[in-house]
Amino acid sequence: MEVLEAVLLGVPVTLLVTVAALALGAVLAVPLAAARRSRVVPLRWLGRVVIDVVRGIPPVVWLFLIFFGLGRDLIRLEPIEAGIIGLGVISAGYLAEIYRGGLSAVHAGQWEAASALGMGGTDTLVRVVAPQAFRVSLPAVTTYAISLLKDSTIVSAIGVSEILFRATQSARSTGAGLTPFFVAAAVYILLSAPLAWLSRGLDARLRARVAR
Amino acid sequence: MSAVAQEPAVVLDRIHKQFGDLVVVRDVSLTVARGEVVAIIGPSGSGKSTLLRCINLLERADSGRVEVVGRAVEPGAGVAGRDLAALRRSVGMVFQSFNLFPHMTVLRNVSLPQERVLGRSRAEADARSRQLLERVGLAAKADTYPSRCSGGQQQRVAIARALALDPEVMLFDEPTSALDPELGLEVLAVMRELAADGMTMVVVTHEIHFAADVADRVVVMADGAVLEEGTPEQVLRSPSTERARRFLSAVVDR
Amino acid sequence: MTGLLTSWGEWLPRLLEGLVTSVELTAASLLLGIPLGLVLALLSSSRTRAVRWAAIALVEIGRGTPALVMLQFVYYGLPSAGLSLTAFVSAVAALSLTTAGYTSEILRGGLQAVPAGETEAAGALGMSHRDTLRFVVVPQGVRIALPSLMGFAILIFQATSLTFTISVVELLSQAYSIGAATFRYLDVLVLAGLLYLAVTIPAGLLTNRTERRLSRHL
Ligand SMILES: Nc1ncnc2c1ncn2[C@@H]1O[C@H](COP(=O)(O)OP(=O)(O)O)[C@@H](O)[C@H]1O
Ligand SMILES: [Mg+2]
Repeated sequence: MEVLEAVLLGVPVTLLVTVAALALGAVLAVPLAAARRSRVVPLRWLGRVVIDVVRGIPPVVWLFLIFFGLGRDLIRLEPIEAGIIGLGVISAGYLAEIYRGGLSAVHAGQWEAASALGMGGTDTLVRVVAPQAFRVSLPAVTTYAISLLKDSTIVSAIGVSEILFRATQSARSTGAGLTPFFVAAAVYILLSAPLAWLSRGLDARLRARVAR
Repeated sequence: MSAVAQEPAVVLDRIHKQFGDLVVVRDVSLTVARGEVVAIIGPSGSGKSTLLRCINLLERADSGRVEVVGRAVEPGAGVAGRDLAALRRSVGMVFQSFNLFPHMTVLRNVSLPQERVLGRSRAEADARSRQLLERVGLAAKADTYPSRCSGGQQQRVAIARALALDPEVMLFDEPTSALDPELGLEVLAVMRELAADGMTMVVVTHEIHFAADVADRVVVMADGAVLEEGTPEQVLRSPSTERARRFLSAVVDR
Repeated sequence: MTGLLTSWGEWLPRLLEGLVTSVELTAASLLLGIPLGLVLALLSSSRTRAVRWAAIALVEIGRGTPALVMLQFVYYGLPSAGLSLTAFVSAVAALSLTTAGYTSEILRGGLQAVPAGETEAAGALGMSHRDTLRFVVVPQGVRIALPSLMGFAILIFQATSLTFTISVVELLSQAYSIGAATFRYLDVLVLAGLLYLAVTIPAGLLTNRTERRLSRHL
């Protein structure tokens, strides 16, 4: 019971880190995805390099770079701030690719139809393509959110007291052995179950409503 | 004729099959003699494929008896793996969509089942395969992959693959429907030869000319039941039911 | 700048040593995890309901449990159940379980993508269920799944950086201890990041190429 309480105290922290990082990533991903689809070649390349670098370095290395690297010499950051920024940057890399996939899934005919109707480029993007791209991307975003929820465990490595941090602590201090880990694993599975369920449902319904 | 030759190759006795509430085959009986070629025609959805698949037990009939080259299968009763393999081995089947194994060369496609099912050595199997590929006019294609063959060639490979197990009965489920007419002719030519060699064949087809020329008997199915049955002249020239007449004029007029 | 390069030159041998450990961990986890994943993928479509459910439960636990939880569980948790493993073995055990969970889903997708007509044709030829899996379904399913498996291999390589928390001396752990000794965390971590990129970026390109090649041929 004590163990359960200790582990559950970490839930709000885990959720805060996950949601904040996802929000940060969702915003940062927009310019990245735009760069990736830009007509300006150097910009396209820059977008690609940034995305590849962000995704090619392990998340925990990013956290260390931000928390120990930048944090020690340049800007002092609280562990949780560093965690959110680090995971946010990584999310931006993954979400940018998801957005890009969504944009290219919208049939080229939609652009043509809109311009035949005399709609401008921005208008078409905002009113026609983006809403459809959003629908196509949403299941992938949900799937990514699940993996981010699990990846958020790594902020324990820089001392953020989220679920795993508390579980490990309780395992060591109380000698409760395996129990805290079982509890932690169960909590993660329970937290991701509704998201997984949502994603499966969304996938079927939203795809049906997008022109191909 | 000897007694064995008199024994029919396939007996379907009051076969009934339904999927959920949908009755697909209702009380169909059909006997195919050894060496006989039976063509089954009829509108799509009438249960032709399902009936054919009841013969080699790809579908299990809900009721009715199936007897293939002397092996009887009672409805509802389980079939031991060994018996099933023996039955499947003596009945070859050719599908509309060829169903070759795309990751194997043409030769492997024909040899592998011989090795696994008949226990032939690789050398024996390959020798037999090459002989059959020669027979269907594809000796030169032995070492290529199916994706490099035309549809007609793939279907001839599929026929060779089935023949390689020395079956006593061959089932064809619309073997030319997925082919351009020209390529279909290559396949029909192979089938004609096979019929001329005395193979017992049950052929679901829309090729009325093939049915007229090659079949000993034509069966017309509609809505899961046999509508007409008889020699090609009887059935194709002067069908006795209105439903069969409508279907035939639709096929012939095309 | 030259100062930085000199330091990097000094640190490089230790970091490369760490990188070798990271690669070894990756290889061991994939070699154990993927076959286990294949077995789970096959069992999860078993005709016996109990087997199917057990397999699905294992897969969901393997995928649902964060890799770091799995690592801590094996290294800090299992000893209390009387099973003490070395750090490296714990790391391989935990990452293999994670690999098995994820790859079984990837492989299941691949196996399901094999057209049903081929399985049916094999059955009609009298081939046994086992032979059909062995010669027809598995070889094609694995091939279809290959690009996704390669993508996953890159992720598990990245995940080896987590094993520093159970004191496996891999790349990140080497970088961190150099940082702790010199107080030049940023400099050494940047070099470590570059070394990770030196593996993940070419591997990513290779994955893309494989995907294009296979999609052309199937
Ligand atoms: N496995 C199955 N499950 C449910 N319905 C099926 C199945 N196979 C065939 N059917 C249905 O049975 C009917 C007859 O199918 P089929 O035997 O393929 O007809 P045909 O070959 O004459 O076109 C069709 O309505 C088809 O949709
Ligand atoms: Mg049919």
